[in-house]
Amino acid sequence: MSARKKTWVRCAFSEMNLTASPVTSEATPAKRTRSASNVTTRVSRSQSGNTPKSTPTKIPAVESVDLTAIDDDQDADITGPPPEVRENWMDSFAPATSEDLAVHPKKIGELRDWLRHCEVVRKKFPAQMCLLTGPTGAGKTATLRCLAKEFGFQVQEWINPVDCEVVNALGDQPSGASYVGSHLEAFKSFLLRASRYKSLLDSQNKRLLLVEDFPNVLLSDKEANFEELLDEYSTYGKSPLVFIVADSKSRGLNISYRLFPDQLKAKHRIEHISFNAIASTIMQKSMKSFCSIMQQPQNKATYKMPSSAVVDSIVVGAQGDIRNALINLHLSSLKGVASMPTKQLNVGVATKGRKKKMQSTLNSIGRDESITLMHALGRVLNPKFNEDKSMLHSPEELTEAFNTEPRNFVNFIHANYLPHFRDIEEVVTAINDLGLSDAMLNEYRDDALSVMGLNLAIRGVMLANSSPVSGWMPVRGPKRINIQSQASLAEQRLLGVGFAGISMTLYTTEYSSLVKCIASKHSEDKSSQSKDSFLN
Amino acid sequence: MALWVDKYRPRELSKLDFHKEQAENLRNLCKQSDFPHLMFYGPSGAGKKTRIMCLLREMYGSGVERLRSETMTFTTPSNRKIEVMTVSSNYHLEVNPSDAGMYDRTVVIDLIKQVAQTHQIEISGQREFKVIVISEGDELTKDAQHALRRTMEKYVATCRIIISVNSTSRIIPAIRSRCLGIRVAAPNETEIVSILQSTCKREGLALPVELAKRVVDKSERNLRRALLMLEAAKVAKAPFTANQEIPDLDWQVFLRETAAQIISEQTPGKLEKIRERLYELLTQGVPPNLIFRGLVEQLVNNCDMSIKAKTLEFATEYEHRMQSGAKHIFHLEAFVAQFMNIYKKFLSELVMTDDF
Repeated sequence: MSARKKTWVRCAFSEMNLTASPVTSEATPAKRTRSASNVTTRVSRSQSGNTPKSTPTKIPAVESVDLTAIDDDQDADITGPPPEVRENWMDSFAPATSEDLAVHPKKIGELRDWLRHCEVVRKKFPAQMCLLTGPTGAGKTATLRCLAKEFGFQVQEWINPVDCEVVNALGDQPSGASYVGSHLEAFKSFLLRASRYKSLLDSQNKRLLLVEDFPNVLLSDKEANFEELLDEYSTYGKSPLVFIVADSKSRGLNISYRLFPDQLKAKHRIEHISFNAIASTIMQKSMKSFCSIMQQPQNKATYKMPSSAVVDSIVVGAQGDIRNALINLHLSSLKGVASMPTKQLNVGVATKGRKKKMQSTLNSIGRDESITLMHALGRVLNPKFNEDKSMLHSPEELTEAFNTEPRNFVNFIHANYLPHFRDIEEVVTAINDLGLSDAMLNEYRDDALSVMGLNLAIRGVMLANSSPVSGWMPVRGPKRINIQSQASLAEQRLLGVGFAGISMTLYTTEYSSLVKCIASKHSEDKSSQSKDSFLN
Repeated sequence: MALWVDKYRPRELSKLDFHKEQAENLRNLCKQSDFPHLMFYGPSGAGKKTRIMCLLREMYGSGVERLRSETMTFTTPSNRKIEVMTVSSNYHLEVNPSDAGMYDRTVVIDLIKQVAQTHQIEISGQREFKVIVISEGDELTKDAQHALRRTMEKYVATCRIIISVNSTSRIIPAIRSRCLGIRVAAPNETEIVSILQSTCKREGLALPVELAKRVVDKSERNLRRALLMLEAAKVAKAPFTANQEIPDLDWQVFLRETAAQIISEQTPGKLEKIRERLYELLTQGVPPNLIFRGLVEQLVNNCDMSIKAKTLEFATEYEHRMQSGAKHIFHLEAFVAQFMNIYKKFLSELVMTDDF
């Protein structure tokens, strides 16, 4: 087992060494700008400055061998094999108490209040419910587990079974006479039984149910299904129930939106606590504590100290996802593994010393930067430029972020671009490109054209505006044109049966205004006449 | 109480007021037992629909004049219900598929199938086919036109199609070649004047010739518009006088104001206000090509000779793009912006030459 793992680790990371060597990074400069690539090499050189070999050599093979055993302070295993990794290495970093949590104390407080409330009403209303939402890696589950331990709850978690095979009445006959039981039934029985009866192996008396893994039936079927389930639980359940849902961008996949409508939350008094992504300062702190855990004697054999540049890049790349940060830290600080290549981000961040510090992120690993429509609109309408006149946000990146819904984004640009312009001449170039992109988007026979059209619209508007009007401007949605028939009843009567044969556009262009005059006169005449003839 | 346009509409081919020779040809066409698909084309208000109804009467007798309006419901492949108003008699059915917007394809296919799959009940009737009248055929999408082509061929035994269009240029060649084209030109000015005169005589009103001429000018040789204008004028002021006011079409007035605003100021802020006005016209249902044309006419009339050619050049370019695009407002706005730009440059040059 361990032998197999060792070879896996070695071959996976030996490949990485090659790409990580400074020589190769010099040979293929980073995509952005000249200056950026220089910085990259400088960073990696300063790292290799720690090593005895400070002069870069031109032979990649030698370099990579060197990097495999990068650190000089623990150079006991320069030629030795990479360390074994325990299977549950993540557990050694898990927070033990609520002080260790990287979550904002206010959120921990909210959850603690709820648990306290559960304790208080335990005798009377045992079936309390709570919903935790937040982005992935925000520490939802970790917080719950920590606090449950603190309060002495035994957490019992539902995990979707791979199959619900139910053996038929004949018992042990293996032939295909079994059928797949309902997931929903299994889920229901879990909720009701697990909250009532304690496990034979457990000593604790208080239980807390956790559902993080929602059965798929709940999502495909009507929500009524789920509502019934909760109704039943609130009457028969005997312990608090916690749902944990990670945020999702798409509405269809958003469980908290689909399964927990507001009226349901109100009906069962479900406490909704939404976690935020972990702030980078807190993340820095917890990275430090992770590093100190790595220095503990039992871990020392496995880990080396990562350089601070790498740690910083990990924090930036993780974007508030602590799980992702921990995994990256783990991989980058294993002994016998090269340090990870970092890449400069062209986003300046003002630090305390009022100096702009360039952020860098991991080259290969890290979460993709996600970007909202509003952000992207801001980048298009208020384009920012670097000192060398290159654009800060490349149109290609924006295009890539929205190429699934190009039309929508172009419409949004069109609805909002005008107030950001000062000069009509610049407007002309912008709207010209928008018009062209509309024509391109309408060409359905070629998929590539839609991306090109979107790119044209974004680039056109960004480049046309030489001096954007700054200041707050509300974002407006694109207008929909909905033509409704304008004809009043009197006008319709005047036209008789023939009215149905006149299209709405023809009516507005030819008839509307004139018939209105005539109809108003007629209604005057009629009102002066006797009323019964009017009814006929 | 019907409008004059409907009240004095000729009912028979022999009673038409203009293009009499063509009317004679249509009568001859009806005498034969068979009858091709027809396509009437010509400008708005030239009497296409009138001619179609006369033709139908010639074929089926006065039964076609017993009209009833009906709302038909169609279900699109995406399970959306759309309602389309139709006018029909026992012998024919008139429909305006352009009201269904992008779902007109479904309407065309389903409608023709429904009509064509039932045979005429009365065998004693002269013809064994029904007629479907499609008005504003040029508003049909390409999809719908292709669908129409197939169904036209398939059900030729039981139904004939008469399409009424403004311009054949937007009809695909496949349909053009399947139909007998009949051009209905707009009546000339003397014809319209005489029709207005006779209408007034039948109403018992005296119409001064000057007023009739002014109505004709204003109506742009659109007979329907001329008659409606005259009636509206009558409503405003009962005995006609030579220089009384003739009511305008309100969207044209609105467009004129818009053009004046464009000339008054050339800034992005103004452009935004113009955009709002254009949106208003579009939501009212004024077709974008009419807006475009009206705007160009107004602007060209009100600008200096030196920039007229350039304005027209840009107008053609953006109009062409509008046809290939989907968002009409983009192209209308682009044209307005472009004009503002030219006009602003022209003004600044004017100031410079004045200085020297």
